[in-house]
Amino acid sequence: MAAPIRVLTAVPICDGHDSAINTINLEFIRHGIEVVYLGYHRYAQDIVRAAIQEDVRAVGISSYNGGHVEFFVEVVKQLRKRGVDDIAVFGGGGGTITHDDQRVMQKRGVDKIFFAGTSLTGMVDWVHERYGPGKRGSRDGAPADMQLARKLTQIEDAYANGKTPRKPAAKKSSGTRVIGFTGPGGAGKTTLIDELVLRLLHRDDSSRIAILSHDPSVVGEGALLGDRATMINSQHDRVFMRSMATRGQAGGLSPATEDCLQLLAQSGFDYVIIETVGTGQEAMPFQSKLVDQTVLVMNPDYGARLQLQKIVMLDLADIIVVNKSDQERAKTAMSEIERRLQGNSREQQLVSTVAKRHRDTGVDRLCDLLTQPRTSGETASEEPKGRARLRRA
Amino acid sequence: MSKLGRVVEAVENYNTFVENEVKRSRTEKKFGQQMVDRWNQIKANIPIGTAPTGLKLPRLALPEIDEAGDITRYLLADGLPGEFPFLNGAYREMYLEPMQNPTIETGTYEKNGDGKKSRLNGSKNGKGNGASAAHNRLAPAAPKPAQAEEPTRLFSGLMLAEDTNARFHFLGAHQRSKRLSTAFDGPTLYGIDSDADGVFGKIGEGGVAVDTVEDMIRLYDGFDLGSPDFSASMTISGPAPIIMAMYIAAAKRRFGPDIVPKLRGTIQADIFKEVQAQNETIFPVEASLRFLTDMMEYTTRNMPRWYPVSISGYHIGEAGSTPVQQAAYTLSNGFAYAEMMAARGLDVNDFGPRLSFFLDCGLDVEYIALTRVSRRIWAIGMRDAFGAGHKAQMFKVHTQTSGRSLVAAEFKNNLTRTAAELMLSYMNGTNSCHSNSADEPFTTPSEEWIRLAAHGQAILLDESGIFKHTMNMLSGSPGMKAVERAVEAAILEEFREIERLGGVMGAVENRYQRSQIQTAAHRYEQQIYSGVRPIIALNKYRNENEEMPEFELARTPRSKQQLQVDRLKKFKAKNARKAEEALNRLAEVVETDENCFPALMEAAEVCSLGQICERLQEVVGRFRPMV
Ligand code: B12
Repeated sequence: MAAPIRVLTAVPICDGHDSAINTINLEFIRHGIEVVYLGYHRYAQDIVRAAIQEDVRAVGISSYNGGHVEFFVEVVKQLRKRGVDDIAVFGGGGGTITHDDQRVMQKRGVDKIFFAGTSLTGMVDWVHERYGPGKRGSRDGAPADMQLARKLTQIEDAYANGKTPRKPAAKKSSGTRVIGFTGPGGAGKTTLIDELVLRLLHRDDSSRIAILSHDPSVVGEGALLGDRATMINSQHDRVFMRSMATRGQAGGLSPATEDCLQLLAQSGFDYVIIETVGTGQEAMPFQSKLVDQTVLVMNPDYGARLQLQKIVMLDLADIIVVNKSDQERAKTAMSEIERRLQGNSREQQLVSTVAKRHRDTGVDRLCDLLTQPRTSGETASEEPKGRARLRRA
Repeated sequence: MSKLGRVVEAVENYNTFVENEVKRSRTEKKFGQQMVDRWNQIKANIPIGTAPTGLKLPRLALPEIDEAGDITRYLLADGLPGEFPFLNGAYREMYLEPMQNPTIETGTYEKNGDGKKSRLNGSKNGKGNGASAAHNRLAPAAPKPAQAEEPTRLFSGLMLAEDTNARFHFLGAHQRSKRLSTAFDGPTLYGIDSDADGVFGKIGEGGVAVDTVEDMIRLYDGFDLGSPDFSASMTISGPAPIIMAMYIAAAKRRFGPDIVPKLRGTIQADIFKEVQAQNETIFPVEASLRFLTDMMEYTTRNMPRWYPVSISGYHIGEAGSTPVQQAAYTLSNGFAYAEMMAARGLDVNDFGPRLSFFLDCGLDVEYIALTRVSRRIWAIGMRDAFGAGHKAQMFKVHTQTSGRSLVAAEFKNNLTRTAAELMLSYMNGTNSCHSNSADEPFTTPSEEWIRLAAHGQAILLDESGIFKHTMNMLSGSPGMKAVERAVEAAILEEFREIERLGGVMGAVENRYQRSQIQTAAHRYEQQIYSGVRPIIALNKYRNENEEMPEFELARTPRSKQQLQVDRLKKFKAKNARKAEEALNRLAEVVETDENCFPALMEAAEVCSLGQICERLQEVVGRFRPMV
């Protein structure tokens, strides 16, 4: 099975016409393409950064509010300026982009414009044909971020092609802290991580952060990788973000995750954050020895207490976050979980947050916990402490 | 149960009530006779008009029924135009031409409302500025004597404030009443200053650039903002409260503080539909709603002639929703606003009449009756779930024909599409209407096509006899009734689903409306390319040799864009100290529970739009986009 084509899609700044791109995204993923969606009202700079980090094959832009010649060309220009010549730029904008416009745009490096009335299958076929499997070189000599992005692609592709790359020894750069986030869908993991990133960037004006985020997909099918669209604070020059599809693997991670994580952990970031797909919590998704701390993010609305007994992750996580604590059930949830954790024999922390609330103090506390100088007892894989030590942070 | 749940109950109860009354009129002889007498009285009082051919016709057509039960059902379930539950119209005579020699007094009703039709800027002269024209809206106005105003809403927004101002004056030169409709450029719609990085090329594109109170003064220069003949409409939502504050600041500077209660006009401001469909939200939803309701509370108390929100389904429909979704989300958004206003202790009879609606009209069969049903649900919900009186029960609506139904292939066919949609809009008794230009898929409409679009309305209303002689001319056919029943049931089902998700807010947080709209939009496009949905000249009767037509595109010159940046920088330098103070005060108030609109008005005197938005975002955060 060949590796799926990865493209990035977005709508330009001051433009909220997203109906066309939403439909096109859906159509792409139905036909095996993985789409990293950056959202609407996006600066050229954010599109370029994301395209490079995600190392997509092409960038698809949907523009309706005018200024498309300038905008498409700006994206091409910024890519070239950074030495990228193997990420194509294509797109559409219904009838607002004329044939004349297209001629100018193509002359200046835009690959293709789809006019009003193009059939959806026409576009899909074109992407398959044009951006299908093909050799892309390594990026030796390019800036570190670009090399890193390409290496991640090579790892992912190797797994997709059925090869199992040799696992290098698990080691990481000194000073790198790896934090794993997991939890059920709808608990607000993505928002929480983005709010943490905002704080981490503020607390230290030189820290660098890597994020490895996951969305579900089935073997041979595409995926919508949409976390970037909502992670507004993470679109930042000091943040390296990579979106991965699970490509058929259960448990919330991709077959290539471990190797990718190792690479990131060795790349000199201060924090490497890894986020699973929303999962059932029956097991620990992070088998990696590299993960220093695991955070389980829960929704106060998990159902009955009985259910709580089944959540194995409650025994294994270092920090349990009850997010959306503005919900009515939050208080009950906190005390039920607290009681549930008391039986455990390891040191765990329980935090309550409202990540969607600006400057939420709960998220501040979580950030404190995650940035505390490390003690040896903090790692999940350490042997259990003698007594239950639950702290309500 | 949220108010929406009560609305569902209210409609169900009302329908049961009607059926019980029907039965009663059939079994209780006295009651039945009363209904029959009332019916005969109504019929006897209908004036008779004369068509140019000499044909005599009643000015209100009624079904040919004479049995007590049928009469009861008609009067209660549908109502006469202008009477609860307003199925047939918010007003008694809507588009009828004035009687030459009225033989019977028909009491007061609004003739022409705030414009029975919108002749767009291009209808007489002038090059259309379309971006905006495409999404224009008209607010139905408070009752006033018939024909007090021309129905024309001059719609403009291009380049810089002085350019738009010149356009306003040019188009309004021969008009008694000045009714200006303003479109803003992208940076303004998103609350970004013209001097911000990365937006230079967007300055003045598709609408007018407004950064400061000085721009606002230039924009309406030469118009008497307090005159009863003047009204301003502003198509903006994300930063609406700030733009509103800037408008008030500009008016005060020109005419003194006493101008405020006299200001007349409307601002779109509907934030729910931004989150659901148009994507111009700039603050987190709760904060956006707080700023909006702060503004609405202020205008309700201090500006009795202002319409502070235009509850819009147009954007929902254009984003690809089904017609039922459009109506259901728009109505539920409206009820949610009403609930918020009531929660602030405002009287439903004060704010209710200041709520108005804006709907889309496409070619799907639901549009035979979508607006009619919406009017009925709104009236019942407002009366029985909110305790509203007559004026606050009326669903006053501006309709725009569907832009999305217009396609590039053999684009002149768009004239026919729009004509059919206009017909549907008027069959639904819209209070005002905007017809899109045939060049809609390509560019901001040009003079030629705007003129044809406006004439389409005139041909329907003035030239043809379809709507001008008799109310109810096309209401109540068996087919229309069937659509009404099916659509009403489907809307109530949507309400129930929203209620299950915790009301409008809960559904929004669950991305419910967005994902429903996206799924519908995807299906719509698939249906086009699979041929299920015939689109003439695109997937049926296609001309393979068609050349793409060339249109002249409007562009703002760089020199003008630079001028806007320079002026803004000067303004900021001049007001630097005062701006900082005003922003600090604003930030302080926003941290409390107080109404922050007064502080916003103060800030608008000395701060730019971008400065205010940035500071507010520091306090309340930025909107986290939903995809
Ligand atoms: C739907 C619509 C809206 C909806 C958008 C809802 C949404 N969430 O998307 C609403 C009502 C909210 C809206 C608002 C506005 N709109 Co509008 N809108 C349209 C409309 C009617 C259809 C666009 C559309 O989605 N078509 C459906 C898609 C699927 O088909 P398509 O466009 O033909 O595209 C095909 C190809 O080009 C291709 N394609 C498109 N993009 C891409 C990308 C990739 C990667 C690929 C491979 C292919 C591809 O796929 C399609 C299938 O063949 C057009 C006019 C028209 N009829 O085209 C105006 C139009 C685009 N809007 C316009 C304007 C000005 C606005 C506003 C600025 C108005 C205002 N002042 O308030 C606002 C701004 C909104 C915002 N936030 O930016 C103008 C733009 C004018 C210009 N550029 O010169 C237009 C052209 C209308 C007009 N003539 O005035 N709008």
